[in-house]
Amino acid sequence: MDREDSKTRFANVVMPYLDDAYGLARWVTGNRADAEDVVQEACLRAFRGIGGFAGGNGRAWLLTIVRNAAYDWLRKNRPAAVVHVDDLEAVERAQLTGAEPAGDNPEAALIARADEAKLEGAIASLPAVFRDTLVLRDVQGLDYREIAAITGVPIGTVMSRLARARGRVIAMLGADK
Amino acid sequence: MTTQNDRLLLNAYIDGELDPEHALEFERRLADNAALANERRRIEALRAAIGERLPREPASLTLRRRVAALVRPRFPDWRTGWPAMAASVAIAFAAGTLATLVAIGPGVREPVPELLVASHVRSLMASQPVDVSSSDRHTVKPWFNGKLPQSPRVVDLAAQGFSLVGGRIDVIGLTPAPTLVYRVRQHVISLTALPASDRAAAPIRPIDGYNVAEWTDGPLVYWAVSDVAVSELDNFAKAFRAGEAQP
Repeated sequence: MDREDSKTRFANVVMPYLDDAYGLARWVTGNRADAEDVVQEACLRAFRGIGGFAGGNGRAWLLTIVRNAAYDWLRKNRPAAVVHVDDLEAVERAQLTGAEPAGDNPEAALIARADEAKLEGAIASLPAVFRDTLVLRDVQGLDYREIAAITGVPIGTVMSRLARARGRVIAMLGADK
Repeated sequence: MTTQNDRLLLNAYIDGELDPEHALEFERRLADNAALANERRRIEALRAAIGERLPREPASLTLRRRVAALVRPRFPDWRTGWPAMAASVAIAFAAGTLATLVAIGPGVREPVPELLVASHVRSLMASQPVDVSSSDRHTVKPWFNGKLPQSPRVVDLAAQGFSLVGGRIDVIGLTPAPTLVYRVRQHVISLTALPASDRAAAPIRPIDGYNVAEWTDGPLVYWAVSDVAVSELDNFAKAFRAGEAQP
Protein backbone atom coordinates (compact mmCIF):
# COMPACT_ATOMS: atom_id res chain seq x y z
CA MET A 1 0.00 0.00 0.00
CA ASP A 2 1.56 3.30 -0.98
CA ARG A 3 1.39 6.49 0.99
CA GLU A 4 -1.55 7.94 -0.95
CA ASP A 5 -3.62 4.78 -0.36
CA SER A 6 -2.72 4.90 3.31
CA LYS A 7 -3.80 8.53 3.51
CA THR A 8 -7.13 7.78 1.85
CA ARG A 9 -7.81 4.84 4.16
CA PHE A 10 -6.77 6.87 7.17
CA ALA A 11 -9.18 9.63 6.15
CA ASN A 12 -12.02 7.09 5.80
CA VAL A 13 -11.31 4.76 8.70
CA VAL A 14 -9.78 6.94 11.39
CA MET A 15 -10.87 10.56 10.97
CA PRO A 16 -14.63 9.91 11.30
CA TYR A 17 -14.11 8.40 14.78
CA LEU A 18 -11.81 11.00 16.26
CA ASP A 19 -14.49 12.16 18.71
CA ASP A 20 -14.96 8.61 20.00
CA ALA A 21 -11.21 8.14 20.23
CA TYR A 22 -10.83 11.35 22.20
CA GLY A 23 -13.79 10.52 24.44
CA LEU A 24 -12.32 7.15 25.43
CA ALA A 25 -8.82 8.57 25.92
CA ARG A 26 -10.23 11.32 28.10
CA TRP A 27 -11.99 8.89 30.37
CA VAL A 28 -8.88 6.72 30.70
CA THR A 29 -6.34 9.51 31.25
CA GLY A 30 -8.69 11.81 33.14
CA ASN A 31 -7.64 15.03 31.43
CA ARG A 32 -7.68 16.81 28.09
CA ALA A 33 -4.01 17.38 27.38
CA ASP A 34 -2.95 13.79 28.05
CA ALA A 35 -5.98 12.48 26.17
CA GLU A 36 -4.94 14.50 23.12
CA ASP A 37 -1.39 13.11 23.31
CA VAL A 38 -2.77 9.59 23.61
CA VAL A 39 -5.06 10.06 20.60
CA GLN A 40 -2.18 11.49 18.59
CA GLU A 41 0.01 8.51 19.47
CA ALA A 42 -2.83 6.09 18.70
CA CYS A 43 -3.50 7.73 15.34
CA LEU A 44 0.16 7.46 14.45
CA ARG A 45 0.01 3.73 15.27
CA ALA A 46 -3.20 3.45 13.28
CA PHE A 47 -1.63 5.15 10.28
CA ARG A 48 1.36 2.84 10.36
CA GLY A 49 -0.87 -0.18 10.71
CA ILE A 50 -3.61 0.86 8.33
CA GLY A 51 -2.41 -1.59 5.67
CA GLY A 52 -3.30 -4.37 8.10
CA PHE A 53 -6.84 -3.16 8.73
CA ALA A 54 -9.01 -5.88 7.25
CA GLY A 55 -12.02 -3.65 6.67
CA GLY A 56 -15.27 -3.76 8.59
CA ASN A 57 -15.65 -1.94 11.88
CA GLY A 58 -13.26 1.03 11.73
CA ARG A 59 -14.57 2.45 14.96
CA ALA A 60 -13.84 -0.67 17.01
CA TRP A 61 -10.47 -1.02 15.29
CA LEU A 62 -9.46 2.53 16.16
CA LEU A 63 -10.80 2.28 19.73
CA THR A 64 -8.73 -0.87 20.29
CA ILE A 65 -5.60 1.05 19.33
CA VAL A 66 -6.64 4.07 21.41
CA ARG A 67 -7.27 1.90 24.46
CA ASN A 68 -3.87 0.23 24.11
CA ALA A 69 -2.15 3.59 23.77
CA ALA A 70 -4.09 4.93 26.74
CA TYR A 71 -3.11 1.96 28.91
CA ASP A 72 0.53 2.36 27.86
CA TRP A 73 0.21 5.92 29.04
CA LEU A 74 -1.42 4.83 32.32
CA ARG A 75 1.26 2.25 33.03
CA LYS A 76 3.93 4.85 32.46
CA ASN A 77 2.34 7.81 34.21
CA ARG A 78 -0.20 6.40 36.69
CA PRO A 79 1.08 2.91 37.51
CA ALA A 80 -1.09 2.79 40.63
CA ALA A 81 -4.22 3.15 38.49
CA VAL A 82 -3.54 -0.11 36.66
CA VAL A 83 -4.44 -2.51 39.43
CA HIS A 84 -3.90 -6.09 38.49
CA VAL A 85 -7.26 -7.07 37.09
CA ASP A 86 -7.25 -10.56 38.60
CA ASP A 87 -6.73 -9.12 42.08
CA LEU A 88 -9.49 -6.64 41.55
CA GLU A 89 -11.97 -9.20 40.33
CA ALA A 90 -11.13 -11.60 43.15
CA VAL A 91 -11.89 -8.87 45.67
CA GLU A 92 -15.12 -8.02 43.88
CA ARG A 93 -16.19 -11.65 43.80
CA ALA A 94 -15.56 -12.01 47.51
CA GLN A 95 -17.67 -8.93 48.19
CA LEU A 96 -20.48 -9.80 45.88
CA THR A 97 -20.93 -13.48 46.57
CA GLY A 98 -24.49 -14.25 47.48
CA ALA A 99 -26.84 -11.55 48.63
CA GLU A 100 -26.66 -7.87 47.93
CA PRO A 101 -25.54 -5.65 50.79
CA ALA A 102 -28.57 -4.80 52.89
CA GLY A 103 -29.83 -1.21 53.03
CA ASP A 104 -27.67 -0.16 50.13
CA ASN A 105 -30.29 0.12 47.46
CA PRO A 106 -30.98 3.70 46.53
CA GLU A 107 -34.24 4.69 44.91
CA ALA A 108 -34.17 4.75 41.13
CA ALA A 109 -35.51 8.33 41.32
CA LEU A 110 -32.40 9.39 43.22
CA ILE A 111 -30.17 7.92 40.49
CA ALA A 112 -32.26 9.60 37.82
CA ARG A 113 -31.74 12.99 39.48
CA ALA A 114 -27.94 12.76 39.79
CA ASP A 115 -26.39 15.91 38.38
CA GLU A 116 -23.63 15.88 35.81
CA ALA A 117 -20.77 16.57 38.24
CA LYS A 118 -21.78 13.70 40.51
CA LEU A 119 -22.22 11.39 37.57
CA GLU A 120 -18.86 12.31 36.11
CA GLY A 121 -17.15 12.00 39.50
CA ALA A 122 -18.63 8.58 40.20
CA ILE A 123 -17.59 7.19 36.81
CA ALA A 124 -14.15 8.78 37.05
CA SER A 125 -13.55 7.10 40.41
CA LEU A 126 -14.08 3.58 39.01
CA PRO A 127 -11.04 1.32 38.56
CA ALA A 128 -9.75 1.69 34.99
CA VAL A 129 -11.03 -1.60 33.53
CA PHE A 130 -14.52 -1.11 34.95
CA ARG A 131 -14.60 2.49 33.81
CA ASP A 132 -13.67 1.87 30.21
CA THR A 133 -16.14 -1.01 29.91
CA LEU A 134 -18.91 1.26 31.19
CA VAL A 135 -17.83 4.15 28.95
CA LEU A 136 -17.70 1.94 25.84
CA ARG A 137 -21.20 0.64 26.56
CA ASP A 138 -23.16 3.49 28.16
CA VAL A 139 -21.39 6.53 26.72
CA GLN A 140 -20.28 5.25 23.33
CA GLY A 141 -23.03 2.70 22.77
CA LEU A 142 -20.93 -0.27 21.62
CA ASP A 143 -22.32 -3.79 21.94
CA TYR A 144 -20.79 -6.56 24.08
CA ARG A 145 -19.05 -8.23 21.17
CA GLU A 146 -17.32 -4.99 20.13
CA ILE A 147 -16.34 -4.24 23.73
CA ALA A 148 -14.91 -7.74 24.11
CA ALA A 149 -12.81 -7.22 20.98
CA ILE A 150 -11.61 -3.77 22.07
CA THR A 151 -10.71 -4.77 25.61
CA GLY A 152 -9.35 -8.18 24.62
CA VAL A 153 -11.45 -10.26 27.03
CA PRO A 154 -14.30 -12.81 26.65
CA ILE A 155 -17.90 -11.55 26.52
CA GLY A 156 -18.54 -13.06 29.96
CA THR A 157 -15.87 -10.80 31.41
CA VAL A 158 -17.41 -7.77 29.70
CA MET A 159 -20.73 -8.69 31.32
CA SER A 160 -19.29 -8.99 34.81
CA ARG A 161 -17.23 -5.80 34.50
CA LEU A 162 -20.22 -3.88 33.24
CA ALA A 163 -22.49 -5.18 36.01
CA ARG A 164 -19.90 -4.25 38.64
CA ALA A 165 -19.19 -0.85 37.11
CA ARG A 166 -22.87 0.05 37.06
CA GLY A 167 -23.39 -1.37 40.54
CA ARG A 168 -20.58 0.76 41.92
CA VAL A 169 -21.76 3.96 40.23
CA ILE A 170 -25.30 3.38 41.50
CA ALA A 171 -24.02 2.79 45.04
CA MET A 172 -21.96 6.01 44.88
CA LEU A 173 -24.83 8.10 43.59
CA GLY A 174 -27.15 6.59 46.18
CA ALA A 175 -24.75 7.20 49.06
CA ASP A 176 -24.39 10.84 48.15
CA LYS A 177 -27.71 12.35 49.16
CA MET B 1 -32.65 -11.99 46.77
CA THR B 2 -30.45 -11.16 43.81
CA THR B 3 -27.53 -13.37 42.91
CA GLN B 4 -24.50 -12.26 40.98
CA ASN B 5 -25.67 -14.33 38.04
CA ASP B 6 -29.05 -12.58 38.07
CA ARG B 7 -27.24 -9.27 37.91
CA LEU B 8 -25.24 -10.28 34.86
CA LEU B 9 -28.39 -11.48 33.13
CA LEU B 10 -30.24 -8.32 34.14
CA ASN B 11 -27.55 -6.09 32.64
CA ALA B 12 -27.46 -8.17 29.46
CA TYR B 13 -31.26 -8.05 29.30
CA ILE B 14 -31.30 -4.26 29.59
CA ASP B 15 -28.61 -4.01 26.91
CA GLY B 16 -30.60 -6.21 24.53
CA GLU B 17 -27.87 -8.82 24.54
CA LEU B 18 -30.01 -11.83 25.51
CA ASP B 19 -31.42 -14.00 22.75
CA PRO B 20 -35.24 -13.96 22.55
CA GLU B 21 -35.69 -17.22 24.41
CA HIS B 22 -33.52 -16.20 27.37
CA ALA B 23 -35.03 -12.72 27.34
CA LEU B 24 -38.53 -14.15 27.75
CA GLU B 25 -37.41 -16.44 30.50
CA PHE B 26 -35.73 -13.54 32.25
CA GLU B 27 -38.85 -11.37 31.95
CA ARG B 28 -40.77 -14.02 33.85
CA ARG B 29 -38.15 -13.91 36.63
CA LEU B 30 -38.35 -10.12 36.69
CA ALA B 31 -42.13 -10.26 37.11
CA ASP B 32 -41.97 -12.11 40.40
CA ASN B 33 -38.72 -10.81 41.88
CA ALA B 34 -39.18 -7.33 43.36
CA ALA B 35 -35.49 -6.88 44.20
CA LEU B 36 -34.50 -7.62 40.61
CA ALA B 37 -37.18 -5.29 39.28
CA ASN B 38 -35.87 -2.49 41.51
CA GLU B 39 -32.35 -3.12 40.34
CA ARG B 40 -33.60 -2.86 36.79
CA ARG B 41 -35.11 0.57 37.49
CA ARG B 42 -31.84 1.77 39.02
CA ILE B 43 -29.76 0.63 36.04
CA GLU B 44 -32.20 2.18 33.58
CA ALA B 45 -32.18 5.41 35.59
CA LEU B 46 -28.38 5.40 35.46
CA ARG B 47 -28.34 4.82 31.72
CA ALA B 48 -30.85 7.59 31.17
CA ALA B 49 -28.87 10.00 33.37
CA ILE B 50 -25.65 9.18 31.48
CA GLY B 51 -27.38 9.62 28.15
CA GLU B 52 -28.99 12.93 29.09
CA ARG B 53 -26.51 14.65 31.34
CA LEU B 54 -23.00 13.27 31.16
CA PRO B 55 -20.98 15.95 29.35
CA ARG B 56 -19.58 14.81 26.03
CA GLU B 57 -16.68 16.65 24.57
CA PRO B 58 -15.73 16.37 20.91
CA ALA B 59 -12.13 16.27 19.75
CA SER B 60 -10.82 19.83 19.58
CA LEU B 61 -9.89 21.53 16.35
CA THR B 62 -6.29 21.51 17.56
CA LEU B 63 -6.35 17.74 17.97
CA ARG B 64 -7.98 17.28 14.57
CA ARG B 65 -5.21 19.32 13.05
CA ARG B 66 -2.51 17.46 14.91
CA VAL B 67 -3.88 14.17 13.66
CA ALA B 68 -4.36 15.44 10.11
CA ALA B 69 -0.76 16.65 10.18
CA LEU B 70 0.47 13.12 10.93
CA VAL B 71 -0.34 11.95 7.44
CA ARG B 72 0.74 15.04 5.59
CA PRO B 73 4.10 14.60 3.91
CA ARG B 74 5.31 17.91 5.24
CA PHE B 75 8.23 16.33 7.03
CA PRO B 76 10.94 14.36 5.26
CA ASP B 77 10.51 11.50 7.73
CA TRP B 78 6.83 11.34 8.61
CA ARG B 79 7.47 8.50 11.07
CA THR B 80 8.92 10.97 13.52
CA GLY B 81 5.42 12.43 13.67
CA TRP B 82 4.72 14.69 16.60
CA PRO B 83 8.32 15.39 17.69
CA ALA B 84 9.07 16.68 14.20
CA MET B 85 5.94 18.78 14.18
CA ALA B 86 6.73 20.09 17.66
CA ALA B 87 10.20 21.00 16.47
CA SER B 88 8.87 22.87 13.47
CA VAL B 89 6.39 24.71 15.69
CA ALA B 90 9.23 25.58 18.07
CA ILE B 91 11.24 26.90 15.15
CA ALA B 92 8.30 28.94 13.94
CA PHE B 93 7.95 30.37 17.45
CA ALA B 94 11.64 31.11 17.66
CA ALA B 95 11.46 32.79 14.27
CA GLY B 96 8.46 34.82 15.40
CA THR B 97 10.12 35.94 18.61
CA LEU B 98 13.33 36.81 16.84
CA ALA B 99 11.45 38.71 14.19
CA THR B 100 9.61 40.73 16.83
CA LEU B 101 12.89 41.63 18.47
CA VAL B 102 14.28 42.67 15.12
CA ALA B 103 11.14 44.58 14.25
CA ILE B 104 11.35 46.88 17.25
CA GLY B 105 14.97 47.78 16.48
CA PRO B 106 15.30 51.11 14.64
CA GLY B 107 15.49 51.08 10.89
CA VAL B 108 15.17 47.33 10.50
CA ARG B 109 12.54 46.03 8.09
CA GLU B 110 9.99 43.70 9.65
CA PRO B 111 9.97 40.24 8.19
CA VAL B 112 6.18 40.37 7.99
CA PRO B 113 5.58 36.95 6.40
CA GLU B 114 7.46 35.19 9.21
CA LEU B 115 5.43 37.07 11.80
CA LEU B 116 2.23 36.03 10.03
CA VAL B 117 3.27 32.39 9.95
CA ALA B 118 4.10 32.56 13.67
CA SER B 119 0.65 34.05 14.39
CA HIS B 120 -0.99 31.35 12.29
CA VAL B 121 0.86 28.57 14.14
CA ARG B 122 0.09 30.13 17.52
CA SER B 123 -3.61 30.29 16.63
CA LEU B 124 -3.60 26.58 15.73
CA MET B 125 -2.21 25.73 19.15
CA ALA B 126 -4.93 27.66 20.93
CA SER B 127 -8.18 25.87 21.64
CA GLN B 128 -9.88 28.14 19.10
CA PRO B 129 -8.12 29.82 16.17
CA VAL B 130 -10.60 32.71 16.34
CA ASP B 131 -11.87 35.27 18.86
CA VAL B 132 -15.20 35.66 17.15
CA SER B 133 -16.59 32.42 15.87
CA SER B 134 -19.16 32.68 13.12
CA SER B 135 -19.68 31.50 9.58
CA ASP B 136 -21.78 34.60 8.93
CA ARG B 137 -19.82 37.50 7.47
CA HIS B 138 -22.46 39.89 8.78
CA THR B 139 -21.40 38.84 12.28
CA VAL B 140 -17.67 38.78 11.68
CA LYS B 141 -17.25 42.12 9.96
CA PRO B 142 -19.05 44.23 12.59
CA TRP B 143 -16.96 42.53 15.29
CA PHE B 144 -13.88 44.24 13.85
CA ASN B 145 -15.56 47.64 13.70
CA GLY B 146 -14.70 49.69 16.73
CA LYS B 147 -11.73 47.49 17.53
CA LEU B 148 -9.64 48.54 14.55
CA PRO B 149 -9.53 51.64 12.35
CA GLN B 150 -9.74 49.52 9.23
CA SER B 151 -11.92 46.45 8.92
CA PRO B 152 -11.20 43.92 6.21
CA ARG B 153 -13.39 42.74 3.38
CA VAL B 154 -15.27 39.66 4.54
CA VAL B 155 -16.21 37.44 1.63
CA ASP B 156 -18.49 34.42 1.73
CA LEU B 157 -16.61 31.64 -0.06
CA ALA B 158 -18.65 28.67 1.12
CA ALA B 159 -19.71 27.93 -2.46
CA GLN B 160 -16.05 27.62 -3.43
CA GLY B 161 -15.35 25.21 -0.57
CA PHE B 162 -13.81 27.67 1.88
CA SER B 163 -16.02 28.09 4.90
CA LEU B 164 -15.68 31.11 7.16
CA VAL B 165 -14.77 30.12 10.73
CA GLY B 166 -14.50 33.58 12.27
CA GLY B 167 -11.94 36.28 12.98
CA ARG B 168 -9.30 37.42 15.41
CA ILE B 169 -6.88 40.30 15.84
CA ASP B 170 -3.20 39.51 15.38
CA VAL B 171 -0.43 41.86 16.35
CA ILE B 172 2.09 41.92 13.53
CA GLY B 173 5.23 43.71 14.66
CA LEU B 174 3.47 46.44 16.61
CA THR B 175 0.45 46.73 14.32
CA PRO B 176 -2.90 45.21 15.34
CA ALA B 177 -4.30 43.56 12.23
CA PRO B 178 -7.66 41.93 11.48
CA THR B 179 -7.38 38.26 10.57
CA LEU B 180 -10.13 36.17 9.03
CA VAL B 181 -10.07 32.42 9.40
CA TYR B 182 -11.40 30.10 6.73
CA ARG B 183 -11.41 26.34 6.67
CA VAL B 184 -11.17 23.95 3.76
CA ARG B 185 -11.57 20.29 4.72
CA GLN B 186 -9.26 19.88 7.75
CA HIS B 187 -7.08 22.85 6.82
CA VAL B 188 -7.18 26.33 8.27
CA ILE B 189 -6.37 29.46 6.29
CA SER B 190 -5.49 32.67 8.16
CA LEU B 191 -6.10 35.80 6.12
CA THR B 192 -4.61 38.99 7.57
CA ALA B 193 -5.05 42.54 6.28
CA LEU B 194 -2.21 45.05 6.75
CA PRO B 195 -1.66 48.57 5.43
CA ALA B 196 -0.27 48.37 1.91
CA SER B 197 3.30 49.43 1.24
CA ASP B 198 4.78 50.46 -2.10
CA ARG B 199 6.52 47.12 -2.40
CA ALA B 200 5.18 44.84 -5.15
CA ALA B 201 3.43 41.68 -3.96
CA ALA B 202 5.58 38.55 -4.20
CA PRO B 203 4.29 35.23 -5.55
CA ILE B 204 3.14 32.43 -3.23
CA ARG B 205 6.08 31.01 -1.31
CA PRO B 206 6.76 28.50 1.45
CA ILE B 207 7.87 29.73 4.88
CA ASP B 208 8.56 27.28 7.69
CA GLY B 209 6.45 24.63 6.02
CA TYR B 210 3.45 26.90 5.40
CA ASN B 211 2.46 28.56 2.13
CA VAL B 212 2.09 32.32 2.15
CA ALA B 213 0.21 34.32 -0.49
CA GLU B 214 -0.13 38.10 -0.66
CA TRP B 215 -2.05 40.57 -2.81
CA THR B 216 -2.76 44.27 -2.66
CA ASP B 217 -6.27 45.65 -2.64
CA GLY B 218 -6.45 49.44 -2.41
CA PRO B 219 -5.05 50.61 0.91
CA LEU B 220 -4.61 47.10 2.23
CA VAL B 221 -2.37 44.17 1.51
CA TYR B 222 -3.91 40.77 2.23
CA TRP B 223 -1.79 37.88 3.44
CA ALA B 224 -3.04 34.28 3.40
CA VAL B 225 -1.15 31.65 5.42
CA SER B 226 -2.01 27.95 5.37
CA ASP B 227 -0.68 24.45 4.97
CA VAL B 228 -2.87 23.79 1.91
CA ALA B 229 -1.10 23.22 -1.39
CA VAL B 230 0.10 26.22 -3.42
CA SER B 231 -2.57 25.64 -6.08
CA GLU B 232 -5.34 25.57 -3.50
CA LEU B 233 -4.08 28.69 -1.75
CA ASP B 234 -3.95 30.35 -5.15
CA ASN B 235 -7.58 29.33 -5.76
CA PHE B 236 -8.50 30.78 -2.40
CA ALA B 237 -6.75 34.07 -3.20
CA LYS B 238 -8.45 34.30 -6.59
CA ALA B 239 -11.86 33.47 -5.13
CA PHE B 240 -11.44 36.03 -2.38
CA ARG B 241 -10.35 38.76 -4.79
CA ALA B 242 -13.21 37.97 -7.13
CA GLY B 243 -15.70 37.63 -4.30
CA GLU B 244 -18.29 40.16 -3.47
CA ALA B 245 -17.41 42.22 -0.44
CA GLN B 246 -19.93 42.95 2.21
CA PRO B 247 -21.33 46.39 1.50
